[in-house]
Amino acid sequence: MAEPDNPGRERILARLKNALLAPAPQPEAGGERRQLFAAVGDPLQRFQQECAANHTECLVTADRIASAAAVRDVLASLPPGEIFVEDTARLRAMASAWQDGRSIRWSSQGGPRESSQATITTAEALVAATGSILVSAACGGRGASVVAPVHFVVATIGQLESDLETVFAEQRERGTLAKNSYVCLITGSSRTADIEKILVLGAHGPRRVVVVLSLEE
Amino acid sequence: MSTPAEQFLRSAAEKSADLGHRQTIRRAIDTYDGATARGRARFLDWEAARERSQEIKWEAVNHLDQYLLEFEAKVKQRGGHVFWAETSADARSYIQDLAARRGVRKVVKSKSMITEEIHLNPALEASGIEVFETDLGEFIVQLRQEPPYHIVTPAMHLTRHDIAALFKEKLGTGDTSDPEELVAAARRVLRQAFFSAEMGISGANFLVADSGMIAITTNEGNGRLCTSVPRIHVAVAGIEKVVPRADDLAVLWPVLSTAGTGQALTCYNVLIGGPRAPGEVDGPEEFHVVLLDNGRSELLADAEQRDVLQCIRCGACLNACPVYRTIGGHAYGTTYQGPIGSVLTPHLRGIKEFQHLSSASSLCGACTATCPVKIDLHHHLLHNRRNAVETANRSWLERVGFKLWRWTVVDARRFATMGALARAGLRLTNGLGLAGTWLDPARAWTKDRAALEVPHKSFRALWRERRGGA
Repeated sequence: MAEPDNPGRERILARLKNALLAPAPQPEAGGERRQLFAAVGDPLQRFQQECAANHTECLVTADRIASAAAVRDVLASLPPGEIFVEDTARLRAMASAWQDGRSIRWSSQGGPRESSQATITTAEALVAATGSILVSAACGGRGASVVAPVHFVVATIGQLESDLETVFAEQRERGTLAKNSYVCLITGSSRTADIEKILVLGAHGPRRVVVVLSLEE
Repeated sequence: MSTPAEQFLRSAAEKSADLGHRQTIRRAIDTYDGATARGRARFLDWEAARERSQEIKWEAVNHLDQYLLEFEAKVKQRGGHVFWAETSADARSYIQDLAARRGVRKVVKSKSMITEEIHLNPALEASGIEVFETDLGEFIVQLRQEPPYHIVTPAMHLTRHDIAALFKEKLGTGDTSDPEELVAAARRVLRQAFFSAEMGISGANFLVADSGMIAITTNEGNGRLCTSVPRIHVAVAGIEKVVPRADDLAVLWPVLSTAGTGQALTCYNVLIGGPRAPGEVDGPEEFHVVLLDNGRSELLADAEQRDVLQCIRCGACLNACPVYRTIGGHAYGTTYQGPIGSVLTPHLRGIKEFQHLSSASSLCGACTATCPVKIDLHHHLLHNRRNAVETANRSWLERVGFKLWRWTVVDARRFATMGALARAGLRLTNGLGLAGTWLDPARAWTKDRAALEVPHKSFRALWRERRGGA
């Protein structure tokens, strides 16, 4: 697309440069950097506590086979219909356990349909301090973690980071932001408190977020 | 037609006398207060978090041109478009033209105060485009054809019964005031809109310079659907929203969530850096960022009040403000309400028409004490009062009054004489039964209150009697 004329750009920039000629008082530096949050002790225990508090279901399993079975058991309780799965070798290997009468739409076939009953993806990282899940466009796309009423995240213990600061540093090293047009930190299931500040889960995104966390890499 | 100041005074008087309204607001803000107290307790050092947030935003605002250029270059590298809008009209025209060129008939929007500031919805609707606000609170106030009541909680002034009646009338829902059922009804309507709209419009909580990404914070997931499903995504953001680094969000995200709602983190903190990239599964084909000035560069030039541009729009100062808690959001008649709105609006819309907002404060400083980026809000209200006296046309009566006051208070004899005259005058007014009428010089006080009890002796006379000496 041809860029439209934007004469305002130079005028705004000129005004900004001119405005900044007058210095504003700088906040006093507080000396030594103080720690904002207490250190996370046992990351797994903390992650489980935080998940319970923010309405994320966390199922800890021994290995991949047990993770596949855990997903299957929850799927069995959901209404019939198509599920959407991120197309990776890891999830392909698990998927035979999930096809019990259901069709699977793989991310390689396109984004999830609006009618999907559940989506199953991997994650870039998990955050113990807040019970959060970091996903990117590479984890099945943008819609994979928001369109269906249930979102499963299949992860391993090695992906669990202690806090947000560590996650940002780690993802910077891996170039996650540079490689993806979309990154989302998910902390709990979709919710609203717009009516009298009363919490209602499942506003527009998933009502249930289920992390299946394998202790084996 | 009445002036904004007259409208404000009228609405404020009505709302402060509406006890049902005050109870609804109080209940909502009490819930907020409890949640944010618990949220702050999650920090080892909340004050250190405020200071760090202030430092980050100070650095950004005081190098605004550099960080905006870095942001622009990175967005373009990712295949996005950046448009710099000097005014609201420029921003509206860009979006209207884009919508017209792409044949857009339906738009879904996520909550964004800046699109309220530029009055985008009426402009799109005038072009024949159907616009859906998709945040539940925004959807509710859109159905009521009202502006948002609060920066974070747009429908804070409504009870579930008000919303139930609205949904029954507009959406044909049954007789239910159950919040779960009301949310489900809105979801059903909006779900169709998400999957049939050609354009999604969002704001941005932050513009991340080193990554060329916008950051959006949302709880419902509507912001994610608006920016993922339609084929065009337009983000509108004030130029002050830029932050230097993605790593800064490790501080700003929890601080915004805590100050905004009391959550450790809002459910969805999203970073979007362009249209769907090659090899990605889904996402819009086009990504546009509209950077809005609209008076912000003039505020930047005011070094004394530059820190107002550090605002992260958490709404904490509204909730803390005794004036907001009494009169509510609509009485202000402005896009941004409460202390931040009273400071900012005279800069964005003119000090002459909006100088009255600087006086809509008890100067208690609760706003400054709660602000997570430490904006000196209550002093800025004083700065605006001073600026209004210097630049805006104040009434001749006020000017003469203050001259008389100054002439009086610099001389002890004059002060005593004028005090005696004032007491005598008030006694006469009260004695004639004129208290509270138009002939009462103290009418501003006595129209709603009992007449002032006028002492027979001045404080100085009493002092002399009791302590002796002059």
